[in-house]
Amino acid sequence: MNPVFMAQWMKDKRKPYLVLLFIGLSIIATLIFGNVDSMGRTTVPVFSSETGDVKVEEKWVQLLNNHDSFEFVVMDEEKAREQVKEGKSDVALRVMENDYRLVTASEMPIVHLIEQHVLQVFTEEAHLAAVAGDIDTIDLRNEVEEYMDSPPIKVQTQSLNGGDISNYDMGMQLLFAFTLFVAMFTIGFKVNGITADKVSGVWNRLILSPVSKTKMYVGHLLYSFCVGFIQISLVFLIFNYIIGYDLGNLAMILTIAAFFALSMVSVAMLITGVVKTPEQFYMVYPSIIPIIPVVSGVYMLPGTITSPILQFIGDIFPLSHGVEAMIDVALFNAGWNDILLPIAFMMLIGVLAMGIGINMVERRK
Amino acid sequence: MLETVKLSKTFKEKKAVEEIELYLHAGESVGLLGPNGAGKSTTISMISSLMKPTSGDVKLDGKSIIKNPSEIRKVLGVVPQEIALYEELSAYENLKFFGKIYHVAKEVLENRIQEVLEMVGLKDRQKELVKTFSGGMKRRVNIAAALLHKPKILILDEPTVGIDPQSRNHILETVRKLNEMHGTTILYTSHYMKEVEQLCNRVYIMDHGRVVASGTKTELLSILSTEDTIQIQLSKKSDSLLNTIKAIEHVRRVDETTQGIRIISKKGSNILSDLVHAAEKEGIQIIHFQMEVPSLEDVFLHLTGKTLRD
Repeated sequence: MNPVFMAQWMKDKRKPYLVLLFIGLSIIATLIFGNVDSMGRTTVPVFSSETGDVKVEEKWVQLLNNHDSFEFVVMDEEKAREQVKEGKSDVALRVMENDYRLVTASEMPIVHLIEQHVLQVFTEEAHLAAVAGDIDTIDLRNEVEEYMDSPPIKVQTQSLNGGDISNYDMGMQLLFAFTLFVAMFTIGFKVNGITADKVSGVWNRLILSPVSKTKMYVGHLLYSFCVGFIQISLVFLIFNYIIGYDLGNLAMILTIAAFFALSMVSVAMLITGVVKTPEQFYMVYPSIIPIIPVVSGVYMLPGTITSPILQFIGDIFPLSHGVEAMIDVALFNAGWNDILLPIAFMMLIGVLAMGIGINMVERRK
Repeated sequence: MLETVKLSKTFKEKKAVEEIELYLHAGESVGLLGPNGAGKSTTISMISSLMKPTSGDVKLDGKSIIKNPSEIRKVLGVVPQEIALYEELSAYENLKFFGKIYHVAKEVLENRIQEVLEMVGLKDRQKELVKTFSGGMKRRVNIAAALLHKPKILILDEPTVGIDPQSRNHILETVRKLNEMHGTTILYTSHYMKEVEQLCNRVYIMDHGRVVASGTKTELLSILSTEDTIQIQLSKKSDSLLNTIKAIEHVRRVDETTQGIRIISKKGSNILSDLVHAAEKEGIQIIHFQMEVPSLEDVFLHLTGKTLRD
């Protein structure tokens, strides 16, 4: 096993660019897409295309501007659309008397956050209008606010440890999502070494040697695991100690990363069983992998994906379980018992994919 | 030492190898000749235990190796047709890797690597990456990797395909030395007749998955002992003359070659006067006439109806 492992290391030692590039990609992607909370106030242009629109615009802008992160500014429609087109604003808002439309050209996480806020304001107003009937909603609102100053029931929330419940940190989720996503590529390309050895004839040489097949597989797969795990660990350590993210219990995060890397090695092995040449793997693997985070919903706020079919497909892959467990640890101070289930899922995926993958590789002539 | 008993391999409906019977005595150098697709590589894969036969057996010192391949693997070195090396590593690193997987003891591995590098003439290039080598140099490292554990039997599957004459001569010389000086038993497959003639004591000729002839060079040439081979060169090409020659009594075969026409006739039948007459009648001159000593190539042509590179 050792010579097989070391041979892979010797090859990569001369060409470490792929791993270094992927580490850099994880960091850059997280910094670009994940820095949602620290971007300051985001300006959202607001316009109305209806007549008598000034009143409508003023009403909604006043209600919408109660959020710390977003600033809604009335703007000419043409200018607002221009800003979105040129990328100066991620989203613009067209308001109507009782409805709205978002104008956007991207699927950035910030767009989802703005949409959530706008939906909440409009829903609240619709509730008030329904209750107010003929009365002016402004009066009713004032009445409700006065009433809420001394409510009959007060609910206090606190975390399991007795502290405040922390705000959901989308940046943290994206850090985990991007890092694990990029590591999936590294792991896959390393596992592909088995197919490369088979095609080159090195595998046959190994079969004729006293090294057992189990050791041949373990040498390759252990190396792929180590590279993937080290890559994930390096990114997390950089974010934790240099960039200043608080990842919580680092030992637990790295344990989850290890189980994730292990199960991804198995998934890559399964795909290796399907293809015949390394070139085919390079074609198939990068076509499948980018779909996984989208289906797993790891780029979106929790609960965004509601389709049971998509949720099932997402659960087949280890990514959703890995990110879920890491978020639980980093944001909600989950303990070892809380992360056992996602780890068990990753192990199950790993065992099944590895079993099927090796079987398929061995059956191929 | 090593023998195959009615060894056969069928892929789905296609019979790749059919009831092959080979034997190799210790210290012998045996050639396996055949055109592409004759079944040489499949036979070698079964002998080296990489592929299970559909039927038949492979025996090493009388014991079957089909169920227990570890016995043959201990004494076998295989040089595959493809370059089975890590191209991103140097020649030395490749040999160190293969030495380790063959469990060559740490204290002797270094010396052994230098010995095999010396043998294949790459000692001074050992630190260079394999991917920077020429095709011939890669093939030499490919051979060196199979020699590290001092195998008693060495199987070489077309080790000189697509390389320069200098590297080919070096490889042939290495194989000859291994056989004559180190007593290694050699099974050498090729579709280059000259290589086999030069290296091997005995030859098996394969075609369409079967052994069509076997024996020493003299024994194989005796197949053509009842025939004369005549090579003639004409002043111009003529199909009607070709047909006239075919009709001459005792002429068994007429083939057009790059040098002219090759005629195979019954031994001792004097067809020279008939040839001259036929040419005169067509107004064609015979520029060159030669009685040829038959070669293994002629034997192969006689047995299979095609040349080795067909």
